Amino acid sequence: MTGYFLRRALGAVVVVLVLSAVVYATFYIAPGDPARLACGPRCNPEQIRQVREQLQLNDPVYVQYWHFLQGIVAGHDYSTGTGVLHCDAPCFGLSYQNNQQVTDLIIQRLPATASLATGAMAVWLLLGTGTGLLSALRRGGATERVLTWLTLAGTATPVFISGLGLLMLFCAYLEWLPFPSYVPLTDDPEQWAWNMLLPWAALGLLESAKYARLTRSSMLETLAEDHIRTFRAYGIAERSLIGRHALRGALAPVIALSAADFGSMFGNAMLTEMMFGLPGIGQLLVTSTQTIDLPVVVAVVMVTGTAVVIANIAADVLYAVADRRVALR
Amino acid sequence: MRQLPLISRRVAAAAVSVVLLGGAAACGPKQGGDAQGGGGAPKKGGTLTVLNRAPQKQFDPARLYTSGGGNIPSLVYRTLTTRHRANGAEGTKVVPDLATSTGTPSDDAKVWTYKLKDGLKYEDGSPITAADIKYGVERSFAPELSGGAPYLRDWLIGGDTYQGPYKEKKGLDSIETPDAKTIVFHLKKSEGDFPYFATSTQFAPVPKAKDTGAKYAEHPVSSGPYKLVKNTGDGEQMLLERNPGWSEETDKERHAYPDRIEVKSGLSSAVINQRLSTGSGADAAAVTTDTNLGPAELAQVTGDKKLADRVGTGHFGQTDYLAFNPKAKPFDNPKVREAISYAVNRTSVVNAAGGSSLAEPATTFLPDQKSFGFTPYDHFPAGATGNPAKAKELLKEAGYGDGLEITLTHSTAQNFETSPEVATAVQAALKEAGIKVKLEGLEDNDYDEKIHSVDKQPDLFLAHWGGDWPSGGPFLAPIFDGRQIVKDGANFNTARLDDPKVNDEIDAINKITDHDAAAARWGALDKSIGQQALTVPLFHPVYKRLYGKDVKNVVISNWTGVLDISQVAVK
Amino acid sequence: MTNTLTLPEPEAEAAPAPASGARQVRRRLLARKSALAAAAVLGLLVLLALGAPLLAALEGQDPNAYHDTLVDSARGGVPFGGFGGISAEHWLGVEPGTGRDLFVRLLYGARISLTVALGATLVQVVVGVAVGLGAALGNRFTDSLLSHVTDVMVAMPLLVFAIALVAVVPADFPRPVLLVVAIGLLAWGGMARLVRAQTLSLKKLDFVSAARLTGGSSWRIARRELLPSLAAPVITYAAILLPTNIVLEASMSFLGVGVKPPTPSWGQMLSTATTWFRADPLYVLLPALMLFVTTLAFTVLGDGVRAALDPREASRLRVGRSRRTSRTSGAGGAQ
Repeated sequence: MTGYFLRRALGAVVVVLVLSAVVYATFYIAPGDPARLACGPRCNPEQIRQVREQLQLNDPVYVQYWHFLQGIVAGHDYSTGTGVLHCDAPCFGLSYQNNQQVTDLIIQRLPATASLATGAMAVWLLLGTGTGLLSALRRGGATERVLTWLTLAGTATPVFISGLGLLMLFCAYLEWLPFPSYVPLTDDPEQWAWNMLLPWAALGLLESAKYARLTRSSMLETLAEDHIRTFRAYGIAERSLIGRHALRGALAPVIALSAADFGSMFGNAMLTEMMFGLPGIGQLLVTSTQTIDLPVVVAVVMVTGTAVVIANIAADVLYAVADRRVALR
Repeated sequence: MRQLPLISRRVAAAAVSVVLLGGAAACGPKQGGDAQGGGGAPKKGGTLTVLNRAPQKQFDPARLYTSGGGNIPSLVYRTLTTRHRANGAEGTKVVPDLATSTGTPSDDAKVWTYKLKDGLKYEDGSPITAADIKYGVERSFAPELSGGAPYLRDWLIGGDTYQGPYKEKKGLDSIETPDAKTIVFHLKKSEGDFPYFATSTQFAPVPKAKDTGAKYAEHPVSSGPYKLVKNTGDGEQMLLERNPGWSEETDKERHAYPDRIEVKSGLSSAVINQRLSTGSGADAAAVTTDTNLGPAELAQVTGDKKLADRVGTGHFGQTDYLAFNPKAKPFDNPKVREAISYAVNRTSVVNAAGGSSLAEPATTFLPDQKSFGFTPYDHFPAGATGNPAKAKELLKEAGYGDGLEITLTHSTAQNFETSPEVATAVQAALKEAGIKVKLEGLEDNDYDEKIHSVDKQPDLFLAHWGGDWPSGGPFLAPIFDGRQIVKDGANFNTARLDDPKVNDEIDAINKITDHDAAAARWGALDKSIGQQALTVPLFHPVYKRLYGKDVKNVVISNWTGVLDISQVAVK
Repeated sequence: MTNTLTLPEPEAEAAPAPASGARQVRRRLLARKSALAAAAVLGLLVLLALGAPLLAALEGQDPNAYHDTLVDSARGGVPFGGFGGISAEHWLGVEPGTGRDLFVRLLYGARISLTVALGATLVQVVVGVAVGLGAALGNRFTDSLLSHVTDVMVAMPLLVFAIALVAVVPADFPRPVLLVVAIGLLAWGGMARLVRAQTLSLKKLDFVSAARLTGGSSWRIARRELLPSLAAPVITYAAILLPTNIVLEASMSFLGVGVKPPTPSWGQMLSTATTWFRADPLYVLLPALMLFVTTLAFTVLGDGVRAALDPREASRLRVGRSRRTSRTSGAGGAQ
């Protein structure tokens, strides 16, 4: 088991490194000169030259990338003009835009994204998986139909529409909820939850249909398997059959996919974050992409990538735990 | 929803004027109208909430671009001069701020002298000195603190090579401080507009002992009515509270009614406008400093009397236009450029830009405001909906009687200015004249870099331009001064016009320190350049913004076109 | 529970190669009314998309012609008249701001949205199945390599990367193709994962082990035994991916990297329509409705195809409907 985790951890490091290199290279060749963008709208050539030098953009791209990696491992000292700024490891450098430490920028934004991802997962597990189970076990009911349509509508609606719809309905017309304005969990748990309700719903709904369908087909699959049918032939009560035996196998892929999706929410929920004004990591990624703020872009991608990779390991482990037929290897 | 676009727009900020708005706001009463919103006289107290899209990423006075750095920075940084906080045209005037006057010129406006007022203090109670202003100007030359306007480098003697006080401790000899209250600037050439430029935050005092270089923006030392108490999430959430060191007697312009100002940004424009219109809780005392009403929201607001009363309208000096490269075929032929000028249907362009309430058709390059020297002309009258017959005739004369195929470059950002909708409207109009237009939509960064690069510049593209201050100089010179063709940097003279007569006239007007006299000459210059059809002016945008129910004393000047946050009261 | 007895023996259903059942599959598919209805809807959509120029001519409108007189310029360009300016000339009204005909733009939009989504899904299925199978059937090294590549793909923030990709590729590259490639090549990770996991499960099952024992090669096993069993989950997942891809296309339009104007697509219409939901609700509702109907139809059809492909599934459906013996009466149940 230790060997397994070591191997996976090593794999994770490789994946994140490859990812960071690919992103670094892509944004390096993408149009837009970071020095010019950092320099301001009407920089003259001399000024651009100075800024380029100050941002160390004159080195070849692989040297820049290497410095970037060095900073992560060993930290980095920067001149502020008047003094020295110690950027301790893991140091992802300074933002080209305003010299802020990228590590700080990310740490400030992680809680919002984590809150969003956690709640959205709860929604899709409850709503999506619930609908799926319901439709696998008692098809044709009115509840199931309503839920199925709801989740389908969720999949078919971009979050910038469903989010707006939810905002308008609950905040503007009904005034049941305040317009979301992120409150950290540590400041006020109750306010945190109220403000996160709509973002959770919007993002969770989007994912729910996928889970409903996955759960349904997985459940039907499991119910048709030999051991279940054998149990059934022995006359074990349906409730216990499903609760004790079928559910576990049927939910294995659901849990595995949930873990993976949870990880990917860190980098892919930017539209939801922007819609609801959540100061999350996706928003940071989008804004820094626009200004080719390379250290921020690459650092965010590395962090979100790490989240995904860890989530994937968790997914595989959970799958193996839930479904004994699958071994870790 | 233009939440994305707004980000791209911030980048498009590279277009000067937009930066200007980057930190600026807008909403208010009808132009020139009296303060509106809520009854009774404005009183001190309360908390003003600011709901914004873009976080205030830059807060260092050296790195901000526009007059006062926009709205919020102008609450923290006082400058030598400042814009007059008044409605409409009155608000295009420049007035003293830290200085006792807008400046005393000598030597043909090459030397500018300022005296500081008495009793000026920082938030910590220490006195503001002329040396601090000199230091503030100098540090804006440091590459660590880039971002400001180019004028200091272009104008100050020695400015072109100076690298800031961190690398060159000695400082700039062209800024003298004979005593603690006097500061003298020595310029390379005559600049009658210097008082307007002195409204920039580079002219805000920075005490050398408190300067922390690149980290200064985290804890800047306030000279204005508010100090920065909290700045988290990279300028996304900010809290400003009263600065005890500021005294109203020395500051005629800023009122500072609210006790606290809370800035919440990172919101989408749809959400901002919805919150302002609903106005529940703290949102009743809220404004936005960066989000206009879009066409759809306007359609909704105009149908609701109560909401319509809470819309502020402003006119910022800006022109949106078609830019040619007259060095490239077929635009090297003036007849082709004229034909396109005739063919343009400004009604559909204005509709694509948000309709007649958000854009006014333009036939002049200068904005239609007196302070810029607006002189009406319409050299190639296209009427309201274009004159395709005349355009066809000209094309025939130019040898394109069988039709013409051209490419129009635009940005993919949905900003209602250089966006696909406007490009499509131009495309549809030119089709009537037998011109087939291929659209080339570029991602905003790409677009911005290409249109300002001498080598990669498209031959025909949508562009916009706004004044760094309300005067003809900063509006015309960067676009038409032949000596401002920038090879390796950001070039704005996209027509590459290098006409000695135009250059000389620009120099001559720059010597004039009487604004009205200069304005008349700028207007005449614009009219004469217009005959060459180097651009096709399309429209001047109009800014409309909502403000909260409890917001009082809304002032919108034509300098910024947006509500002035220093005037707002919530009690 | 007595219904279990009606189930065919597992050997009898797992073994049959799908090739033999092509006709059967069609028969089973035709027997599902819901699937038929969905297929009809999709067929109609495709016909509408293909016949867009004809229908445009019938209505007498052009997708890109401006009608300045039909919109109220002073009010942001909201169409004159009720219901988004519906009239005898403009059957579904006009676009705010420009006055372009919505009916024709919706039709032309269907072309782009459907093509991009179908193309991207196809790319995702091909790449995903290939990688997933390769990982599950290959040796430890292959599995590790392919799984890591999949991990990298899954770990990529899709939209941001798509934006970068669109910015890097020359502007004159055909945009719909670029969208297909961008979405297809960036978002196959989930499919690969699913296929790998399913294959690993299947490998443990008796019939695959049996095939192994009898000495079948990996390729043969993949083709004869695994692919048929994978068809059901793959098709189900593809049916989920399809609408997701339409939404992705919309999101990319929203971020300004969709198809180029004036070409209409549903995504692009949706993204510009969002602000209009109060002033001109029809403008939002129309593309949203089209998107929803398409999604629904694909989902239902996907269900039907899966059930038809997988006889075990079909029989199970009978089990599940123990309360309703007639198969046709439960047509709605699968939605």
